[in-house]
Formats: sequence, structure tokens, C-alpha cells
Amino acid sequence: MIAVLTVASVCALCLGTPYVPPHRLVGAVLDGDTTLAGVVVNELRVPRLVLALIAGACLGAAGLVLQEALRNPLAVPEMLGVSSGAALGVAAPLVLTLSLPAAVQPLLALGGAALGGGLTLLAAGLGRSPSAVLLTGAAVAAALQAALLVLMVMADQLDLQLIYRYLLGSLSARTWEDVTGLWPWLLVAAPALVLCAPVLSVMRLGDEDAEALGVRAQRARLVALAIAVVLIAPVTAVCGPVAWVGFLAPHLARWFNSSAGAVRWLPWSAAWGAVVVTVADVPARLALAPVETPAGAWTALLGVPAGIALMRSRRRDRMTEGSRTGTAAVRTLVPGPRTDTPRPDVEAPPAGRRGNGSQEEPGARGTVPLPGETTGTEDPR
Amino acid sequence: MRWRFVALSALAVGCAGLELVAGRGMSPGAVWDVLGGGGDATERHIFLQLRLPRMLVALGAGACLAMAGLILQSALRNPLAGPEVTGVTPGAVLGAVTATALGLAGWESPLAVVLAACAGGCAGALLLWLLVGRGGGDPAQTAVHGVLVSAVLGGLTAMVLLVEPGELGSVVQWLVGTTEGRVWEHWHLLWPWALVWGVASWLLTGPLTLLRCGDDIAMSAGLSVRRARTLALMCAVALTAGAVAAVGALGFVGLLVPHLAMAVFGADMRVGLPGAALLGAIVVCGADAAAQLSSRLLAATLDSGRLTLPVGALTACLGAALLLVVVRRTPSRTF
Repeated sequence: MIAVLTVASVCALCLGTPYVPPHRLVGAVLDGDTTLAGVVVNELRVPRLVLALIAGACLGAAGLVLQEALRNPLAVPEMLGVSSGAALGVAAPLVLTLSLPAAVQPLLALGGAALGGGLTLLAAGLGRSPSAVLLTGAAVAAALQAALLVLMVMADQLDLQLIYRYLLGSLSARTWEDVTGLWPWLLVAAPALVLCAPVLSVMRLGDEDAEALGVRAQRARLVALAIAVVLIAPVTAVCGPVAWVGFLAPHLARWFNSSAGAVRWLPWSAAWGAVVVTVADVPARLALAPVETPAGAWTALLGVPAGIALMRSRRRDRMTEGSRTGTAAVRTLVPGPRTDTPRPDVEAPPAGRRGNGSQEEPGARGTVPLPGETTGTEDPR
Repeated sequence: MRWRFVALSALAVGCAGLELVAGRGMSPGAVWDVLGGGGDATERHIFLQLRLPRMLVALGAGACLAMAGLILQSALRNPLAGPEVTGVTPGAVLGAVTATALGLAGWESPLAVVLAACAGGCAGALLLWLLVGRGGGDPAQTAVHGVLVSAVLGGLTAMVLLVEPGELGSVVQWLVGTTEGRVWEHWHLLWPWALVWGVASWLLTGPLTLLRCGDDIAMSAGLSVRRARTLALMCAVALTAGAVAAVGALGFVGLLVPHLAMAVFGADMRVGLPGAALLGAIVVCGADAAAQLSSRLLAATLDSGRLTLPVGALTACLGAALLLVVVRRTPSRTF
């Protein structure tokens, strides 16, 4: 993972016009404003990379929190209406040409996200069956998107380009200001995450067992949603709903150390989220240059198939395990909506992927990339 | 049963009439004048060249979508199947947008758009088919996978749109579904297509009713299940593609109108399919009339002329509310 992250970061910093060779990167960063390469790297590419890392980490962590709290491998911000709510909150003043101070934007996004997520959970009756929650979420998200589209139809042609790009999740032309705007939110969210992680691992056991252990399941779920909203809203306010990162990252984290618990998956999921967004940003910037494609489109294109593949192989794996060790394991360990319909191919042997997981030592998760030491991307236009 | 049809037909005519008088530009009195053969040239033009085709397109598209939804739900035995959640509508949108971007089809050559939408719809359905597997699994799972497929196709569409941003404005309207500016050409294209596939699916209503009962029963009744299902799915995709090419991706009509139709007409498809077509026409036409009325009111209150409410936004909001009801009402049966 570290290798992938490093390669992606170096690519993000070097490629583009002007091309900065890797060995001159350090020089360019140190040069600062004196050379063209220095300006480009310092002012455009580095903030972009930092933003990609932070955004990915937030989305990945939020995705894991939601998935664990709802015990549903498909509970992602996009399908709960959280992302569309936040996007609506940001896009509305843009279209209606209300001039608002920049500090209000995350608040609006927060309001929208809370509205979308709360509406979904209320309508679905909190902890009912996973698919019911998801379909309700899809309905809420569709309604919110319809509202967004109405706004877009009202917008001028010029704004429209901008808004459309934003709605797909784009990292283009973000500067240090955008990055610094994120810090206060992260300061709120990070301790909350640390506090809620143990509760999450208890929630995995199922509502009854969790309550027996002294966790108020419904309240914990609401708190988890609140944390996810706090994580997602500021990111959405800055770079739009980068789609499906919250879906892919937790699955990647689980795939690589399947034996761990929620507490351990949380940092991994954040790290994988950062990797996913950073990697997706490279083709977004370069694939169809000079036109810049939004990173969100790439994450949706690549993330959904990959996530589904991971989910399937994992479920198959778990099924075999469960059928060997007893039914209780199946009930608690397989949160998928398919729990009660065993697939015919259950007898497939557990894939030999355990080996993959063990290669990553637990210590390596301390390497959640620090934004400061990595480097960014953006082309001067 | 006959009374229900009569009542619904009356409702459809009422909606169509409302659609004709709603909208900006001329007062209801002027419409009456034109109908009586009077009115000046502008009013005649508005009425004959704009409003009439618009109303007809709305009726036709609604009927197509509702029929497609009912066929999908019956053939897949899945109360949550609909063109929107089985990847057919997003696929059709992708096909049409791609063909336009590549220059193979323009909005001036509507037939090419229909064909491209059809190909895209088939591709979307095929993708879901591959993903879910042959068995179909349980309905909710299929629906969830369908949403995922739609997300992927939507990402592709966005990519195409951003590479070819020239027509973004008109395409965005079309993405949400609108009957704005539909003229006779669209109608001339829509009705033969809808008629052919509508008749084809009406011929399939018997087998479809059997399919609703389950594969075993259908097979013991002497039905070739696989062939019937393939034919039915083809009809559904073609109907959806026609409607999407005409008015765009109208949200939730194909998913929820069939439920209404089942509630009104019962599970016999021979009655239910025409009923669903009628209901779909009513819903879309009524929603369009409401959208026109409300945009007229909004324009009056906000004093801005550029505000128009696309009909798709209204059906999506309405459909989302209805979907919540459906999901809540049938917790044990469906989920």
C-alpha cells in the first residue's frame, strides 16, 4: 500500500505540464516561488495532493463507520443520501447567487448531509433490514438529486459547467486555503472517531448482544451517523461528493486484514481511502488532458466494480468459514443482505488470500500518510 | 373492471386538457378560441405546434415507461425492478449521450438517438444480468446491484458529458426528464415505436401472467420460460429506450406506476398492462401539467422568466415519496 501511495504521489507531483522530474522535486519544493516548477509544485500540486489524501481518509473512515454501525456492507454515503444532501447544501447558494462567506459553506453542507442521512434513517425506521435502509436511501438520494437538477436547470450555462464538475467530485484548482479550511473539522472528528471505534466493534455483534454489553444500539447508530456526517460534509464542501470511496476503502481494508476488528480497520480504511482518491486523481488529471475529468467519475467507474468483486469474494470466504465453525458465526460475521440466501457456490474453498493480509504488519498502519510530508498535483492553466 | 377503465380514461382526458391549458404564453380563453378555429397566428402556432405534440409525447412516454416497468417486474418476479434500477434507463441515457458526442446522432436525427438508446439500454440490462447471475437472487439484492450498476453508468455518462461539454445545458434537462420543446417530430418518432413494441408486449401478456406465478408453474403450464422471459425483457428495453429518447430519464415512473396498476387492476396482466399504460400516461401528463402550472406560479411570484420546472423533477420527488410508502408498507413480504 505504501508503495502504491508513493508511486501515486510522485506521479501526481511530477506529471503534467510542466513535467518535473522526480529527482528535481525536492529542489523545486525548496526553491519556492523563484522558479516556475517551484510555483507549480508548491501552490498547485502539493495542496491538491494533500487535499486528495485528507478527503480520501475522511471518506474512507466515514464509510467504515457507516458500514459497521448499520451492519451493512453497502451502507455508503452515496446510498444513504448523505452525499447528495451535502452537495445540495453547497450548490444551492451557488445557483441562487447568494453571496456567502466561505466559512458558512461547510455548515450548509453539514446541514444538508444531516438532513439527507437523518431522513433516510427515519424513513427506514433505523435498524430494519439492510436492503430496506438502502432502498430508502436510494429514494431519498434520488429526490435530493432531483432538487439539485432543478437548481441546475435554473443555472446559467457558465455556472452549469462549474456545478456539474463540482457535483461529480473534482479536485481541480484547489489551493492551500481549501486545505486549511478542513482542519477545524478534522479536529472535531478525529477524537470522536477514536472514541466511537470500540463501540463499533461491539455493534458488529448485533443489536441484542450489543445491548447486553451495555451499548444503546439506536443511540450509537445515531452518533455514528453524526460522526460520518461531520467527516463527509466538509470534504464535500471543498471537493464535491467524490463518489464511492466510502464503499471501496472499507472493503479494501477488510480484504487485506480480514481477521482484524473494527478498531483496527478504521485507520486502514482511512489509509485506503487516501490511496484510492490519490490514485484516481492521477488519471483524472491526465487521462484526457487538456480536459480535466473529475476524480469522482473515476472513483465511481473503478470503485464500484472493484468493491463488488471484493465483497463477493469475501462473502464466499466467510460463508465457507461460517459453515465450518457454526451458525452463530454466520449470523454475526456476515452482515451482508444475502446472509439468509446461501449461494450455491458456497463449497468453493476459502481463497488463499490470507497470505496477503499477513504481509502487512499491524505496525504499518501508523503510516496513515501525514499530509505535510507528501506532495500534491495540479497543472497551471 | 370496465368502469375503472372508463374512469381512468376520463382522468387521462382531463389531464391532457389541463396540460393543454396550463403553461405560460396564453390564457385558457385563448386556447378555447383556437379550438374554435379562431385566435391569431402566434396563438395557433403555440397551440398546434408546441402544446399538442408536447401533450402527446408526455402521454406516450408515460405509457411506455409504465409498460416497461410492469413487464420487468413480472418477468423478473421482482417488485422492485424498474427501468431505473435495472440499469436500463442509465444505459439508454449513456447510449444516447455517447452517440451524440461521437457525432453519430444529433438531436436533429432522432431515429439514431433511439437506436443508440436502445443499444445502451440492452448493455445496461446485460451488465446487471452478468452481475447478479442467472438465478436472479432475492429481489432487494438485485435492486441494490442495479443501483450500483446505475452509478457506474452514470459515471461514464458524466465523463462523456465533460469531454464534450457543448450540449451540457440541454442534456442536463434531458437527464432529469423534460417535455420542454417537444415537437411533432418527436411524436412521429415515438408513436410507431411505442405501438410496435406495445402490441408485442400485449401479445406476451399471457406468458407474463404465468411468469408472475413462478417458473415451476409456468413450465408445467407448457411455457418455454427462458424464451418468454427473453422476449419480455427485449420488449421492456425497447419501450424504455423509446421513452428515454423522447423525454429523457423520467424518474420512478417505471418503478411505481406498475404498483399502482396492480392495486387497481389486479395481477392479470391482460388487463393490467393496458391499465398500467393508461396510468403511466396519466401520471406523466398530470405531472407535466402540474410542473407547468407551478413554474408559471413561480415565475409570477419570483418575477423571473427563466425558471422552468422539468417534469422529471416532479416525478422523482413524487416517486421517492411513494417508494418510501411501498418500502414501509411491505416490510416482510418484499424485504
